[in-house]
Amino acid sequence: MNEDRRSFIKKAGIGILAGIGSAAGLFPALSLEKTVFPAWDEKPEPGKHRWGMLIDTRKCSGNCRECVAACHFTHNVPDFGNRKDEVKWIWKSSYENVFPTASRQFQSPEVTERPYVALCNHCAEPPCTKACPTEATFRRWDGIVSMDYHRCIGCRFCMAACPYGSRSFNWRDPREGIKLASTDYPTRMQGVVEKCNFCSERLVKGLDPACVEACPEQALVFGDLNDPSSEIRKLLESNETMQRKPELGTKPSVFYII
Amino acid sequence: MLIVVLAGVYAFRHQESQAEKVAAPVAPAAAAAVDSSACIASKEYMRANHMRVLAEWRNSSVREGNRVWVAPDGRKIDKSLNTCLSCHSSNRMFCFNCHMYANVKPNCWNCHISPMEAP
Repeated sequence: MNEDRRSFIKKAGIGILAGIGSAAGLFPALSLEKTVFPAWDEKPEPGKHRWGMLIDTRKCSGNCRECVAACHFTHNVPDFGNRKDEVKWIWKSSYENVFPTASRQFQSPEVTERPYVALCNHCAEPPCTKACPTEATFRRWDGIVSMDYHRCIGCRFCMAACPYGSRSFNWRDPREGIKLASTDYPTRMQGVVEKCNFCSERLVKGLDPACVEACPEQALVFGDLNDPSSEIRKLLESNETMQRKPELGTKPSVFYII
Repeated sequence: MLIVVLAGVYAFRHQESQAEKVAAPVAPAAAAAVDSSACIASKEYMRANHMRVLAEWRNSSVREGNRVWVAPDGRKIDKSLNTCLSCHSSNRMFCFNCHMYANVKPNCWNCHISPMEAP
């Protein structure tokens, strides 16, 4: 009798411990940014990859703001509700603002009236990195034009140099303008410039950028421009595409199907 | 007993379904699992040099993409402030007690979410 009781308690104890152990996966220990081991193991080879994006504007519907919302939530981009303090990583704009120098005249009104997604072009020849006096912004080994916020002194030379308006300055403490904070990414501080980072923090985990993932029409395609067998390269070969202000020689990595 | 077992099964399924969502443009390297269960160096070394370690990690990971630090005993560690915080944030005052005592004001928490602010 006693022996049975003892073994029952033992078994029950083991069962409870197993339950607690597996339930631990349900609740994160703390809601801080998570440590995820990077998808690559050692120092990357410079120039091996060049990340790029293709935007099929025919699929992009006018009123949808899913990509903007997903990006701005993921990266804790503040919204102060006025143009003067506006901070943007990805946004929608009109044809004449996105392609002001497009050579094709007399496009159909359907084309010129629909909104276009704009973001940092991650140029192969970025003018912003050449303007930065502290090398806070630089072109990475994988073609992403990145910001080291630790080094930015807020001089805004890069904003003057960027021909696409892809950079925003934090005139105010951005934490005041974040309504719903994501705990997976830091914020910025007052007095630094910020921009799209092609979701380099997600690429490291083997994920696609947040905007690509959020698009309900799959209008955004992300991939390696240096890999001839990638989806983006195949689409670039089979479609007529446009870049923003190609005559400036910045060699943007973001392409548009009109 | 039954409830406990069911909760365990649910947790396991939940983890599985989360793992399936991940779409990989880059094939993950055959790397060791992240180990942040033990401190990367001795207490004495970290007390004196944590700021140098963090600055070195930041420069090599952000600017060169060299994100993996190999400890002298062979453990592979993600070069991230969050590697430290994954354990040390259990004490919300871990960073602040010393910094307040020594009157140093590091600017980490202007951008990064501090253990004190974590929900």
